[in-house]
Amino acid sequence: MKQKTEWKPKLVGFLCKWCSYAGADLAGISRKKYPANLRIIKVPCSGRVDPLFILKALRLGFDGVLVSGCHPGECHYQTGNYRARRRIAITKRFLEYLGVEPQRIQASWVSASEGGKFTKVVDDVTKELKEAGPNQLFSERRGDGTKTKARSKGTTRARQS
Amino acid sequence: MEQKLRQEAKALLEQGKVDWIIGFEPGSLKFTTTPLITKDKNDADRLVINPFIVNNLADFLPEIKGRVGIVAKGCDSRSIVSLIQDNKVVREDVVILAVPCPGIIDLSKVERLVGKDRDELDDVTREGDKVIIKVNGKKKEFPVTEVLFDHCLACELPTPQEYDILLGEPRPPAPNLEVSGKDIENLKGLTPEQRWEFWGNELSRCIRCYACRNVCPACYCQRCFVEETEPQWVMPVPRWQDNLLFQIVRNIHVAGRCTDCGECERVCPVNIPLRSLTREMYDMVDELFHFKAGMDKEALPLMTHYEQEEAEDFFR
Ligand code: SF4
Ligand code: SF4
Ligand code: SF4
Repeated sequence: MKQKTEWKPKLVGFLCKWCSYAGADLAGISRKKYPANLRIIKVPCSGRVDPLFILKALRLGFDGVLVSGCHPGECHYQTGNYRARRRIAITKRFLEYLGVEPQRIQASWVSASEGGKFTKVVDDVTKELKEAGPNQLFSERRGDGTKTKARSKGTTRARQS
Repeated sequence: MEQKLRQEAKALLEQGKVDWIIGFEPGSLKFTTTPLITKDKNDADRLVINPFIVNNLADFLPEIKGRVGIVAKGCDSRSIVSLIQDNKVVREDVVILAVPCPGIIDLSKVERLVGKDRDELDDVTREGDKVIIKVNGKKKEFPVTEVLFDHCLACELPTPQEYDILLGEPRPPAPNLEVSGKDIENLKGLTPEQRWEFWGNELSRCIRCYACRNVCPACYCQRCFVEETEPQWVMPVPRWQDNLLFQIVRNIHVAGRCTDCGECERVCPVNIPLRSLTREMYDMVDELFHFKAGMDKEALPLMTHYEQEEAEDFFR
């Protein structure tokens, strides 16, 4: 008999090729176990991650997004991760203001030698995403996707000058 | 002020100090003004300064070749400074004609206040802290704060800091954040689900005309991500999901460059309360990084700069 499998969050990870991707590789080589729900996208630097990528992943239905790069001060390009940090900070805060569950936007610093830390990050993030539940943000579940219906529901304001 | 502006503008063109003048002239609709972009010194007499000069003229700067004399209110001057910080505009190529700004009148607030369409109003004038609205030959007086744009009520810099010619007496800032921030406070009182629902509903009216982006001085990209096709980030059809995605990403892209000039909200044809996004981002940037857009032309742009230690709390 096949058992009904437990729901597992789908997670996309943007990993910088110098540190975090190598860290994930190390975790694999050392045969460490971590949840298989992570889809990895290798980026040259965490600074390459346009917040657009994060939004697009959520739009496509991923339950969470992880951006991971080298520790502060260890960026291969000196400053990429510092810039990433600013971008991710405002993205996370802004999305929270809009009503997105904070668990969905995740970030970590993982070096090439931290295979163990990488496993733990994915474990912890997965746990948090289970709490948050499936990403329904962009789904049509509320039926508010039709323009006519929402138009009558939305706030109407006087004409602007 | 207006007289001085006309003289200065004429002189600048005559003496060849600028190739262009960008300012305001009366619009075709009642009370409105419209941008005037000219090379002709005789056009200087068409320039006006009044309580209806809404546009943020900085939007035109990156596209204009040559030296430009530009009329700027406080918020516009911050957009100009921000463009200088981004290396989009060369300081020496602009002559900033600074208007100490007492706030701009939002005609839709006037309409709501007196319950009349703007075409039915005889006159709207400002006298100090009062606005005088004439309807059917009768005069009505209100505190001017009831008809100013929300972002004007929050204004931190009525008089440009960066300018070449000052057209009037400087005005001190007198922000009333309680009134101007009411909408955002109300939203924060909702649950996250309600907030997301609210924005989904609002953006389902969006027709993706891109007026908000096109009017924004901070959105100067030659090719915006929404027009990219490989990959296609958003579908051209204006569904609420992609509309919302567009607006979120736009806000993130202009973070640290948005001066809360209020133009995007004003031009939205379906009245989406965009300022409740832009202003929240503005405050967030200030809180997290102590950065205000367009205040200092020597400061590095927000997203090219960093501190060793900041915003670390959520990193694993
Ligand atoms: S985002 Fe809106 S308020 Fe901010 S600078 Fe652009 S047009 Fe002005
Ligand atoms: S939304 Fe982003 S990509 Fe588009 S014009 Fe504005 S800053 Fe550029
Ligand atoms: S101005 Fe309004 S309708 Fe047009 S694209 Fe922007 S949000 Fe949508």
